[in-house]
Amino acid sequence: MVFEWLHPVLIATALLLAAIGAVRRVNLWRAGQAESVDFVAGLIAMPGRYLHDLHDIVERDKYMSKTHAATGGGFVLSLAMIVLVHLLGLESQILAWALLVSLTLMFVGAVFVFKRRLNPPSRLSKGPWMRLPKSLLAFSGAFFILTLPMAGVLPEGFLSSSTGGWILTAVLTVFIAMGLSEMLLGMTWGGPMKHAFAGALHLAFHRRPERFGGGRSTGLKPVALDQRVLGVQKPEDFKWNQLLGFDACVQCGKCEAVCPAFAAGQPLNPKKLIQDMVVGMAGGSDADYAGSPYPGKEIGQANGGPLLTITEGLIDPQTLWSCTTCRACVEECPMMIEHVDAIVDMRRFLTMEKGSTPNKGAEVLDNLIATDNPNGHAPNSRTNWAADQNLPLLSDVKETDVIFWVSDGAFDMRSQRILRAFVKLLKAANVDFAVLGAEELDSGDVARRLGDDATFQSLAKRNIATLSQYKFKRIVTTDPHAYHCLRNEYADFAEGIADDLFDNIEVLHHTTFLNQLVQAGKLKLNPYKGGTVTYHDPCYLGRYNGEYEAPRELLRSLGIEIAEMERSGFRSRCCGGGGGAPITDIPGERRIADMRMEDVQTTGAELIAVGCQQCTAMLEGVVEPRPQVKDIAEILIESLVEPLAKELH
Amino acid sequence: MSQFDILFEPLNINKLTIRNRIVSTAHAEVYATDGGMTTERYIKYYEEKAKGGCGLSICGGSSVVSIDSPQSWWSSVNLSTDRIIPHFQNLADAVHKHGGKIMIQITHMGRRSRWDGGDWPNLMSPSGIREPVHRATCKTIEEEDIWRIIGDFAQAARRAKEGGLDGVELSAVHQHMIDQFWSPRVNKRTDQWGGSLENRLRFGMEVLKAVRAEVGRDFVVGMRMCGDEFHPDGLNHEDLKQIAKYYNDTGLLDFFGVVGSGCDTHNTLANVIPNMSYPPEPFLHLAAGIKEVVDVPVIHAQNIKDPNQAKRILEAGYVDFVGMTRAHIADPHIIAKIKNDQVDQIRQCVGANYCIDRQYMGLDVLCIQNAATSREHMGMPHIIEKTTGVKRKVVVVGGGPGGLEAARVAAERGHDVTLIEKEEELGGQVVIAAKAPQRDQMAGITRWLAMEVARLGVDVRLGTSADTDLIHELKPDVCILATGGRPFIDQEAAWGAAEGLCVSSWDILMGKVVPGKNVLIYDTICEFSGMSAADYLASKGSLVELVTDDIKPGVGIGGTTFPTYYRNLYEKEVVMTSDMLLMNVYREGENLVAVLENEYTGQKEERVVDQVVVENGTRPNEELYYALKQESYNKGQLDNEALFAAAPQPVLALSAEEKQGSMILWRLGDCVSQRNTHAAIYDALRLCKDL
Repeated sequence: MVFEWLHPVLIATALLLAAIGAVRRVNLWRAGQAESVDFVAGLIAMPGRYLHDLHDIVERDKYMSKTHAATGGGFVLSLAMIVLVHLLGLESQILAWALLVSLTLMFVGAVFVFKRRLNPPSRLSKGPWMRLPKSLLAFSGAFFILTLPMAGVLPEGFLSSSTGGWILTAVLTVFIAMGLSEMLLGMTWGGPMKHAFAGALHLAFHRRPERFGGGRSTGLKPVALDQRVLGVQKPEDFKWNQLLGFDACVQCGKCEAVCPAFAAGQPLNPKKLIQDMVVGMAGGSDADYAGSPYPGKEIGQANGGPLLTITEGLIDPQTLWSCTTCRACVEECPMMIEHVDAIVDMRRFLTMEKGSTPNKGAEVLDNLIATDNPNGHAPNSRTNWAADQNLPLLSDVKETDVIFWVSDGAFDMRSQRILRAFVKLLKAANVDFAVLGAEELDSGDVARRLGDDATFQSLAKRNIATLSQYKFKRIVTTDPHAYHCLRNEYADFAEGIADDLFDNIEVLHHTTFLNQLVQAGKLKLNPYKGGTVTYHDPCYLGRYNGEYEAPRELLRSLGIEIAEMERSGFRSRCCGGGGGAPITDIPGERRIADMRMEDVQTTGAELIAVGCQQCTAMLEGVVEPRPQVKDIAEILIESLVEPLAKELH
Repeated sequence: MSQFDILFEPLNINKLTIRNRIVSTAHAEVYATDGGMTTERYIKYYEEKAKGGCGLSICGGSSVVSIDSPQSWWSSVNLSTDRIIPHFQNLADAVHKHGGKIMIQITHMGRRSRWDGGDWPNLMSPSGIREPVHRATCKTIEEEDIWRIIGDFAQAARRAKEGGLDGVELSAVHQHMIDQFWSPRVNKRTDQWGGSLENRLRFGMEVLKAVRAEVGRDFVVGMRMCGDEFHPDGLNHEDLKQIAKYYNDTGLLDFFGVVGSGCDTHNTLANVIPNMSYPPEPFLHLAAGIKEVVDVPVIHAQNIKDPNQAKRILEAGYVDFVGMTRAHIADPHIIAKIKNDQVDQIRQCVGANYCIDRQYMGLDVLCIQNAATSREHMGMPHIIEKTTGVKRKVVVVGGGPGGLEAARVAAERGHDVTLIEKEEELGGQVVIAAKAPQRDQMAGITRWLAMEVARLGVDVRLGTSADTDLIHELKPDVCILATGGRPFIDQEAAWGAAEGLCVSSWDILMGKVVPGKNVLIYDTICEFSGMSAADYLASKGSLVELVTDDIKPGVGIGGTTFPTYYRNLYEKEVVMTSDMLLMNVYREGENLVAVLENEYTGQKEERVVDQVVVENGTRPNEELYYALKQESYNKGQLDNEALFAAAPQPVLALSAEEKQGSMILWRLGDCVSQRNTHAAIYDALRLCKDL
């Protein structure tokens, strides 16, 4: 009878075609550059990574996490049992019942997927993704009915025993075919279900395995400067597991929803960017993309291929230069895709190979090369701000407890207020500290984010060489960007200069350090006297380094009850000042800082506490009337109970 | 990065790092009232500058090294005794605490002082020639005196060093002893101390060598000198360049301060502290000339008031440090405001020279517009803290300097402030004062206040006359009347104000009447207003006679300001007549006849003119005050004991039960009695700082 072989053949065919698709897909990824990965360990760790790391992110949206657990879990269980029951013909009523249960689970999940797709938010891609709930329902529903006779719910042969049965069978077959093609073929031939296949492998072979298990890996990967092409010119220039990562995208648009550049109407949408990477990897155009475009750009104009230059036809360089590297997208991505790495990789090509860093970018890089600071100040003017501060110099004292890494705020009059405030606090707390003075160079943050890894590496190595001459226990800085470089990126370049330098020291942000001092009773503070205060998390302090609590605890130590913004903590919205964005200055419809100020204004705060000179500059750039902006160090000195001279040494 | 970066490039003087390029140069403060010791007032005055960010303060203009250089007349600092050392330590600590540096100017004033005070010394000068500005007669200095004074310089420098000050500046400027020896105008000697240039420079050289021997090479020793005496028989720019080079080449000096112009006559004195009639930095070229020939940093002050100006001068490399001394008197936080990107909040010096004109009268230096300056020790604040007490509804009537300052301070305290002005423009009498030729910068006083009240969100109602109904409608907790006055030209009915036979100086300056062709101004006040009206009329082509019953027109104006008026008035052939009373004015055909009477002889004279202007001060506008007085808790009274002690007015602490009436009522400024801009602003500040 047709019925007896029809469905097993269908399943087998689908599995075979899926396997062929999988080989083809794997070959697309393999076109990327080599990157060593521990395959076995990755595969073993994969289920755990899925159940914990990925699920923890999805869990932020309870509705979706339950829906996905039911649908995805139900599908994986069902597929395994379908192979046993319907392909291999294992006759077990218990197994059939188990299959019914898992199909029910999947069906229920699919109903919620369906409900959500009735009126989907704009961040979700449409197109084939609108079909997916129907396919899920068809798959689970059809296999449910097909399994009923085996479970003994319907009589054996029910589906072939009557005209009605034949008609039902025919209908079921259509649904099964539909379900199988979506769920199996689609998985490897580029349908929405691709995310399951690529996503599972992406979790297994992720380029930053440190992120799993609650870790944090935010430092950019160094460029080998002896490469044929510096940075990523064409999709093939990505590492193979980056390509794999792009394929894992579920087009949920969580990245789009949090991207400050997208909200500002700049031509960047992280979701579209990842999809364009997929287009580039597989070849073709973006015509089938059914999500939000890059603001101001039409869909259907982009074409790419694995060997074609990305910025010539696939992605407008303006898209890449719009990114503030705030990592909000990465933080929100349930598939743990690394958008920022990809963007900086492509910027590296534009800057180091093409020399096409836009607007002030080229000038800033030239300045960094010539003067070791981005604005081209005379290098020896780095210490001008401290002429009246009597700061010990490392070159004199050779040894200290704390190195105060001043950073390029030294050249900026506004930032100097933060520096002076911090120095006052260090002195009040009797901290043994010193500065590098004119020996300090720019951390290289801006060079690196603008794609000039050569300049970054040069600055890093020279700074490391300077540091290596002295004995100290920790470096403390008021600049989260320098903090990030020193803490997360410099160690890659210490080899051969000061191999274990970063193993034996601590790098701290000043809010962390000040909080230690306050909690240890070394700084005495009066209660804060002003009005409502909100706190803005700097990206490079929060998302890049996970420090959300110290600044808040400091504010609470002053008796401040922080009026939190909706977007705070790991969801803080960027001020617009990172990644060299103010330098490349890509036009949009609004300024990111203005939007951030609106976030502030909803709290009714009169004062924005910040822990970053760049955030301070961006937020103070918003036209008045607006709340005041102060670094936490500045807020603290207003409340500082100044120690008597005899209490100081 | 900022446009003012150059101001904040540190520079070393000898081994001392100065944090920025802004210097408060030496001026006499007239605060060292405790026998020449630096008092608390003195220290707080300099501490405020350091707190505000000033790089280097050179204090103690004309601080004396010897007991026979009179100290008491200007209450200058006395370095002739070791008693000064602990006082210096307090001063140095107060400035160093804020990252500033402090040096002191040391000198023997020779003939440039007065002998009729203190220990009544005989003054001394190289050739015993009298100095006109101080009416100072003197003896010819003897060899013994010379060597004693050289030793005194060295000991004074030692005291500065032991007191922890960062350096000394030898004064060879303003015709003190050192430059009295330099100048052939007053040094007619034929011994080794006079004659050839080298001989004339010998005294200064011996002083320098003695000082250096005493303090060592690392302690900062500088010299302040003149860039051109502007006397045909004095030292010209080339002479002074030669002198600067001579001392520079000894390698014993660490910096030069350069001032344009000598000042041993009234007319040259006005150059030294250029008032608002001068262009910006009028003598910079002289300082730049000195810089050409020396190897150490050069400091120059004289009419540099604005950060943009300072930046321009430094960027062009004319000098190494700019002196912004009056700029600091007007706003000791000028540097902090530049750094805080609050340049538009700087209270800028307008060059009214109230500070220096008081000094030349032997009075303590005060600022016409900033009443907190030099009153820091009393708790007068430069930065007004918000109140932690009740927020009050404050209504200020009158937008002159007093009313504006009251509104500003009350708003800074966080109160809800309404300011009512009947004219369409804020400024009060300052608006009138600023109409005279070369007096336009006066308007800066009230322009700053107007900008501040706008920034602070004061509800300013222009073109609004306040009456009791309006005040009741506004329901103030505190009502401050600063309604000013009106010209008092009707004091004598015979002057004919009622018949329109005379007009006021206000009518003239505000253009309310057409200038006459032949005008007599009768000025009983002898300050700015009469001179300004004369200058204004003369500049419009009127033939003007300025008559006063006082000793001399402009006699009430200080030493740096009357000369610039005189320059204008003499040039425009204004006739100045003293000792004549205006008896009456009557009409005779087309003309007016003014009858004058000599105060001392009773002899009468008549002037046939077509316009008579009377400047007789003001009468208070006090109608609103008397209309509101009875309903106020305090019956309009100020508690002078609290006011003079800079303490809060007791009425502010009244409990609800004790309050009998509708509001607190105060009045200040000319609506009480005619005083001046500073008086109105001071009253406003001290009343409102505790509101």
